[in-house]
Amino acid sequence: MDVIVENVTQIWTDRRRGEVQALSHVSHRFSSGRFSCILGPSGCGKSTLAQIVGGMERPTEGKIDIRSADGAQVAPGAASVMVWQNQNLFPWRSVLDNIAFGLEVAGVGRAERHERARAWTGAVGLRGFERHLPRHLSGGMRQRVALARALILDRPILLMDEPFGALDAQTKFVMQEELLRIFEAHRRTVIFVTHSIEEAVLLGDEVVVMTARPGRIKEVIEVDLPRPRRLEMMGSPQFAALTGRVLGLIREEVTRALAEQDRPDGAA
Amino acid sequence: MRRALEILLPMSSVVLFVLAWQFYVDWNDIAPIYLPAPSAIVLALWEMIADGSLFVHLGATVLRIFVGFFLAAFFGILLGLLMGMSRLVARIADPWVAALYPLPKISLIPLLIIWMGTGESYKILISAISAFFPIVMSTHAGVRQIEPGLLKAARDLGASARQVQMKVVIPGAIPSIFSGLQLGMGVTIILIVAAEMIGGSSRTGMGYLLVHAGQVLETEKVFAALVVLAIMGAVIIKTQQWLDRVLAPWADLS
Ligand SMILES: Nc1ncnc2c1ncn2[C@@H]1O[C@H](COP(=O)(O)OP(=O)(O)OP(=O)(O)O)[C@@H](O)[C@H]1O
Ligand SMILES: [Mg+2]
Repeated sequence: MDVIVENVTQIWTDRRRGEVQALSHVSHRFSSGRFSCILGPSGCGKSTLAQIVGGMERPTEGKIDIRSADGAQVAPGAASVMVWQNQNLFPWRSVLDNIAFGLEVAGVGRAERHERARAWTGAVGLRGFERHLPRHLSGGMRQRVALARALILDRPILLMDEPFGALDAQTKFVMQEELLRIFEAHRRTVIFVTHSIEEAVLLGDEVVVMTARPGRIKEVIEVDLPRPRRLEMMGSPQFAALTGRVLGLIREEVTRALAEQDRPDGAA
Repeated sequence: MRRALEILLPMSSVVLFVLAWQFYVDWNDIAPIYLPAPSAIVLALWEMIADGSLFVHLGATVLRIFVGFFLAAFFGILLGLLMGMSRLVARIADPWVAALYPLPKISLIPLLIIWMGTGESYKILISAISAFFPIVMSTHAGVRQIEPGLLKAARDLGASARQVQMKVVIPGAIPSIFSGLQLGMGVTIILIVAAEMIGGSSRTGMGYLLVHAGQVLETEKVFAALVVLAIMGAVIIKTQQWLDRVLAPWADLS
């Protein structure tokens, strides 16, 4: 499925801070079967964009046009699923029942959904923790539950908001490989927000670099590394050249964002 | 070792206090009508246990407490959830709850007695009304303060509006509902005993026992009844706290 973001502007009205412009005239086509990574300084509106694409928020201006392969229009949210930056796990549900939530509300019977959820518990390395409550898991484990809870639904659009942020380096590598394997076995539209330049280049077909708030698209960098991707590619000169380019762009924006830190409204 | 001390220290303070009381009464020859010795209180307690009267009174009080509490819990949770889920219900109910919540419910006793006499229904109603308000307020607050991200996540995973309410809103409000129920239970105990103490309203119950013993100047019975009431209250509240922790292990209940 194609996700076409057309001229999206988002202005939040906050009781304390007044109006905050999070996005300014963002337009981009996230194409079917492509893995797009979004990079940008903290607070530039990456999560906001993901939530607008996922249909959780309506943009102040502009629109989201989602098209299936045959050209039919699909409502935002109907074909996507989100892995949240703060996980949003249900604290009263066990790991297994969190992962099975989407199947449960879709009416899948108890035995079947538990069996499928158990397989996913294993896939994200949480075997043995099925009965645990989220509060008894580490931050990295919670992120893996959130990942499994979304992936089990197998939706054509996958929105991932810093899903590996809390993972330690080793677990992150394993999860990145697992995500690559899943994506490369069955291509879909992935929008992946991250703070890590290496991660963006390793995973993505393109890296969308955003400006400091109010977020605009600064540049889109095509990642022409071959698939299937391997972690070993991170040592290649091609990889270094790509990360170097992205780093240059990001550095400008982060410097600008820091300079504006004493102006919390941020709106230009 | 430390654990033993943690138990031993408060225990020994109680024992010391009782001993001091006993010696004080014995040495100064205090009239038992004024202040009975602990030994006399224990004796009075034992007599009430032996002739079975304690259990009649205690049973009547506990039964009333539970009827009043469950009425308040049922209607309180129901209204609280409705207020949380429907803005219209909240708008209508809010001024009533705001006005009636701070009103001392004891002040309704004369009115209720005029309307319904001094039978069982008056005692249960006054306690249920008192416990109803903290339960409504906590339930309503519990629904309102649910993390909006959880609602968004549930919808994103495909839950319908009804499924969001059943699977997210209600479980999410449970910690707050439980703390409302704990407040409600405390109030119910107070009001039932108070209602039993009102002139001639009953022939059973710990409140009646207390007042009656006082009238015939059986001071050791008054003390015995107080001890039983304190233990009863502690057992009910502690059991409830334990039950809440078992039923809602994810919550940080006090
Ligand atoms: N629901 C909301 N109500 C009001 N303001 C909001 C809301 N969500 C986000 N904002 C504001 O919009 C701006 C962009 O936020 P957003 O979370 O999209 O940034 P981000 O790029 O994801 O940042 P980070 O990298 O730190 O996660 C911030 O200033 C934030 O405070
Ligand atoms: Mg974010």
